[in-house]
Amino acid sequence: MQDLLRKRVALITGKGGVGRTSVTAALALVAQRAGKRVLVAEVWDGTDGASPLAQLFGVPRLPRTAAALAPGILGTQLRPDVGVELFLGQVLRIARVARAALDFDPLRRMFMAVPSLRELGIFFHLLSYLRASHERGEPAHQLILLDMPATGHTLALTGLPEVVLRLIQRGPIAEALREGQSYMNSPEKTGAYVVTLPEELPVSESLELLEGLQRTSVPSGGLFVNRMPTTTFSPDEVAAVHAFLPGRSLFGTDGFHRAQEAQRAVQRLAKSTSLPLVELPTVESTGPALAQELAERLQAALVPAEGAR
Amino acid sequence: MSPHRPSPLGELVQHKRAIICCGAGGVGKTTTSASLAVAAARLGRKVLVLTIDPSKRLAETLGVASNPPEPIALSAERLRAAGIQPPGSLHAWMLDPKRVSDDTVHRFAKDEGVVQSLLGNRVYQQATQMVSGLHEYAAVKALHKFITDGVYDLVILDTPPSRNALDFLDAPNRFSAFFDSGVFKLFMPGATGLIGRTAGKLINKVLGTVFGQDFADEMSAFLASFSSLFGAMNADFKQIQAFLATDAAAFLLVTSPSEAALAEAHFFHDKILTLGLPFAGFVLNRSAARTEKEFPLTSMLPADASPALSSAMEKLKWLARTEHLRATRDRGILADLGLRGGASAFAVPLPELATGASDVATLSTIADLIIQERRSGR
Repeated sequence: MQDLLRKRVALITGKGGVGRTSVTAALALVAQRAGKRVLVAEVWDGTDGASPLAQLFGVPRLPRTAAALAPGILGTQLRPDVGVELFLGQVLRIARVARAALDFDPLRRMFMAVPSLRELGIFFHLLSYLRASHERGEPAHQLILLDMPATGHTLALTGLPEVVLRLIQRGPIAEALREGQSYMNSPEKTGAYVVTLPEELPVSESLELLEGLQRTSVPSGGLFVNRMPTTTFSPDEVAAVHAFLPGRSLFGTDGFHRAQEAQRAVQRLAKSTSLPLVELPTVESTGPALAQELAERLQAALVPAEGAR
Repeated sequence: MSPHRPSPLGELVQHKRAIICCGAGGVGKTTTSASLAVAAARLGRKVLVLTIDPSKRLAETLGVASNPPEPIALSAERLRAAGIQPPGSLHAWMLDPKRVSDDTVHRFAKDEGVVQSLLGNRVYQQATQMVSGLHEYAAVKALHKFITDGVYDLVILDTPPSRNALDFLDAPNRFSAFFDSGVFKLFMPGATGLIGRTAGKLINKVLGTVFGQDFADEMSAFLASFSSLFGAMNADFKQIQAFLATDAAAFLLVTSPSEAALAEAHFFHDKILTLGLPFAGFVLNRSAARTEKEFPLTSMLPADASPALSSAMEKLKWLARTEHLRATRDRGILADLGLRGGASAFAVPLPELATGASDVATLSTIADLIIQERRSGR
């Protein structure tokens, strides 16, 4: 999984409740320590509500456009309105015209009313960060970590260029989409990483998600199996407990069963895909402490040890 | 707390006509919705459960895996396995946004010309392929249709796992903002007045530059056709809004004990109250609040316990501490939800069941719990 830190975009995906957001925040910490200029992003949900991703950095929500979130880490929402404005600025050449066009209420409503334009705006906002350059023409944001929305929305976003290009083949939109594809469809530049749990159903759903990603031509980079049980039982111990349990109702038996299920789930994942697989333990803390703890576990998998360099 | 008092969820599935389940993704909302449906059908009601994105296994259990064009009845064998007897029945349907919007067009369009021009319009086709907002819209349309049709006693709606899941309740207002303001008329050929003509020209220029003239023209055509449907749809929406505000409907919040899921639940709770909708209560899913177990003790081991059993016992004791803590924590969360909901709402726990909890036997087990689970939090 070491090549994650060499990508331009890592799409962190997975079903709700598997710890996708915590993994995103932890990856940002690891990347920052490895000396990367890193940007964490999430698709704006359209409300002023708190963002779970921002809370892992100790702030209530992410800024509207890229701004410091923690030392060496920038954060941003990906917003349709910002994306559309940036895009119009580029297409209409003159910023004044773009602003006037958007200040003009009917036109703004028009842009926001058509559903696919919302996705397009998000896409352009992301593209603007990919394009942004630092001194000497290096990318301003070397690694963009995107905490993806729920599965259906993820595939809508990754599948967007193909769908829209069928509709609009020429002109500035088509050009921007093709430019986006040059990043999103390149295994060197982009990787989708699926976060899952070591349980039967989440594993099935992750395998389905990987198939979906393949259909949208976005390269998959690996799997994070979150909340692995830390207490495991040897085959002898398993047999002994199975003989001991009948007729008893004990605390601790849920964890016992979960440990066996986790083993089966990881074996199944390893058999069904050749992608790199990183196991993460259950971490009981919350907020920034949770991100820190997970980052320490991720460090070993993502950054080569000192001696090996 | 009288033992004869019906459980709050049991009461809900017995009497309501619509139950809307909201909550974060990954809390077991779809499984809970399906189990509520089984519980209601067991009480003799004709139930429809509308889901958005069920897991493959649950979709197979409900018989909707092949995305049937209309609600499908649970097979006789599964009905028996779930303990459902006539007159009780259970239908399930997976919402397909494209299908629902096509139906809407057919239902509200004034004539076949409008139907054809809309269905053939590329902007329309595009809109129905994209996700944003459309799932929510499709959900409320379907809910309304099945309730007004009167075929079912109860419709249970499993909302999409997004913060915007309740946006459908605002849909009329958002559409109105666009159409009522006359804004869209500026996109139409023949806008009137000096300002109208100037504005129309600017809009056409911008759209033409950005999208290409062909596409911009098609967009105008889409808006023109769509606006003719708008009046009828708006009236329809107002009706469903009114219905959802009555006692016949109930909003249920499903959450797990995780911090993130609880934050979402609080967000939805505020929103439901702000919108003046009938909030029924919280379901704390995957909770250990009702777990009553013993601590594993070395003294439980036989005198001749094997080394493997002895070492396993130490591990069980370690795991037991975490699980006991979790049970205590979940009781606290449950009490907190009970207080938050106030006197008119409830908070009930459902346990974590074996994973892959999607076969009929599991749904039945949860349905049993739903009918039995006592009121809590006070």
